[in-house]
Amino acid sequence: MKDKRCEPVRRELEELMLNEDFSSATGEHLKTCSDCRDFQRQQTRLRQIVGSLGTVTAPADFDFRLRARLAADSEAPGFRFWSVTVKGLATAAVLVVFGVGAVVVWQRTHEETPAVAVTPPQVTDPIRGHESSFSLDNPELTHVTTQTVAENASSPRKIHRSPIANRSKRPVSTIDFSSERASVVSNTRPVNNSAVFPIETSLQSVRVSLDDGRGKARTISFPTVSFGSQRVLMTANHFTPKGAW
Amino acid sequence: MSIRMIKQTATIVALVLSCSMTMAQTPAPSPKKPAPQVRVSQRPSAPQVVTIVHRLNGLKMFRMLLRSEQQVQAVTSLESGFNLMDDVHTNVIAGLAMDDGETIAAWLPEANLEFAPPGFPASFGESQFPDFKFRLSDPPDVSVIGPDGKQLPAKYVGFDATTGLSILLLDEKSSLPANAVRDEPVGVGENVLLFGPEPVANTHSLLDNNLYVRIASIEGRIQNVLPAPTGEVARLRVSAPRLSQANIGGVALNEAGETVGIVDGLLGSEATVLPTASIRRAAQRVLKRRSSVPRAWLGVRGEAVAALQLSQFLNHGWAAERAVTLAGDHRGILLTSIAPGSPAAQAALRAGDVILKVDDKEIQNADDFTWYLDQAGAATSVRFTVARPNQIDVEALNVKLSGILDPAAGFGFRNSFPLTKGLSLLEHGAETIALRPVVASQLGTTAGLLVVYVEPATPAATAGLQAGDVIQLIDSKPIAALNRTTSLKLPMTLQVMRKKQKLTVTLSPPAKK
Repeated sequence: MKDKRCEPVRRELEELMLNEDFSSATGEHLKTCSDCRDFQRQQTRLRQIVGSLGTVTAPADFDFRLRARLAADSEAPGFRFWSVTVKGLATAAVLVVFGVGAVVVWQRTHEETPAVAVTPPQVTDPIRGHESSFSLDNPELTHVTTQTVAENASSPRKIHRSPIANRSKRPVSTIDFSSERASVVSNTRPVNNSAVFPIETSLQSVRVSLDDGRGKARTISFPTVSFGSQRVLMTANHFTPKGAW
Repeated sequence: MSIRMIKQTATIVALVLSCSMTMAQTPAPSPKKPAPQVRVSQRPSAPQVVTIVHRLNGLKMFRMLLRSEQQVQAVTSLESGFNLMDDVHTNVIAGLAMDDGETIAAWLPEANLEFAPPGFPASFGESQFPDFKFRLSDPPDVSVIGPDGKQLPAKYVGFDATTGLSILLLDEKSSLPANAVRDEPVGVGENVLLFGPEPVANTHSLLDNNLYVRIASIEGRIQNVLPAPTGEVARLRVSAPRLSQANIGGVALNEAGETVGIVDGLLGSEATVLPTASIRRAAQRVLKRRSSVPRAWLGVRGEAVAALQLSQFLNHGWAAERAVTLAGDHRGILLTSIAPGSPAAQAALRAGDVILKVDDKEIQNADDFTWYLDQAGAATSVRFTVARPNQIDVEALNVKLSGILDPAAGFGFRNSFPLTKGLSLLEHGAETIALRPVVASQLGTTAGLLVVYVEPATPAATAGLQAGDVIQLIDSKPIAALNRTTSLKLPMTLQVMRKKQKLTVTLSPPAKK
């Protein structure tokens, strides 16, 4: 039968590392509580099994993907826990705010339109060759396309990539990246007016298992992107080893 | 309705009210006072720095595995949905737009995957491949993105093995500003900026395949200028906080925005920078030849005399008295081993010899020797002055240098000679990797040898073998029945699976000229 002491004891047992001792209070409790003793046995066995499995090497871009996932999660707070009623109310409220806002903005901008001379950041899609810009004096934020895909298409790609739906609808031009800092190259500062441009990469690192011919198998993960000379594997294009000509 | 729901509803209502109040209090823009033009503060710009995007598909990934330092014989499993022709990896690196407005130089780390395997044909002897010209088997998937973020159509011309630079040419000469690169003197203590592409944080969308990139810079300082024996600058060493592999390939500019060089390596906490003059010469070599330019290859290993202990001379057969004299001179390179079949072996150089001069120019250290051989270039003759342990007088030897794209492989430093790994057709011009049945079925084929590279002008290429083919039978024998000791002599008939069709390909010996 669980009592009030069982809860903290089990929490401590869960947090113990393999071969780590529990506190004396927990030890006292275990003498009297058979349920917790069973729980402790299960936990110990589980750790032993996990400990015997050995280590697994994380993919090379694990850190990058983890941070991307965390960033995505942090941008999506726990709306899923809201009930249907609350979600409906929230949606209605947001619509009301936008409606009121649109009316206010429309009224003010039609009183007298000022000359807006803000230079917006530009984002160019090198693959499609679109130069996207937004004019702030346009109430509909018209997306201006100055060049067609066909005009800017360079040498035809031989490789096959999965098409990306609605790429032109991506709101890339509404985001100012100029104040962002990168995680790979530290202590950096952006170049004056440097463009931020997208590069199409695959999302998943590829894993391949290999046999070395001597019965040994190993698995290699290929990160999707590398910058500079971040190595995927040690291969060529480094200089002659010292002392070899 | 629960208390929790009431609280949430109240929160939303409060938010709506506060938003409405804020909006109502926002003043309208003044109609009389025009808004000022917003300008970005002037920071260092780098019109000569472009971004190079080098994509590798599944086939090239297999090349990478075969050419890695690890032993690889067969692929045993792949992720579902893997396609040989799909992109697997993308490398993003800086490129330097040269002053002619059309030439780009970049240090692409995986450029070697676009060419023949390491040591080919040096490991087999050039006479076996008289037409070998370090050509591309197929154009690399390389894109150039200008400083403004626009893609600039360009083609890959070749690889300069001496510097490790890849040279590209823009289709339109006026795409980039000319005269951006100037050879300016640089000195110790001068500040430089290392420019290169970097990912913009938190923009790798999980919804599409795009990663957002921009050119950024880190500040550094020139710590050392390494002179070549001819007096010009051979390398620069630049210190910068927290340098990493991501900085390699970056373009170094001085504070005036003039190009200093390209980062080509890291040495401890410092970056080594290839100076502009060397970059210019590399571009000229590649453009003149319109293909890759190998590095001069002698086929020796050795150490500078100045760095040796006396015992090392004695171990190579030198008498103590002469060894003391040699060691005291601090000149020359003691050869410790000679690659079989190499130019050094053909010139009768032996382990224990000390090369004192190249074309009558004295060698003070290993860098001098490297410099002189690089300046001579591949397929040229040089005259060595050699001291030998078993003769009193120095000897003059003429040596015709060979050429190699990856000098590290010339000695078999890597385990990358496929002949030692199992059944291989490399000596006939095809680089292959074995596919296990599970993997083969995943790729829509059957077990066999997957061709990952075919060298132009070899029996494999002449017969029409293509990268992506899977060889099922060799001379009517299944691959599984053959092993590494099987002699694969020409002529040879292969049964090949290509795009789910069976083909027969016959490899014939190259025609003798």
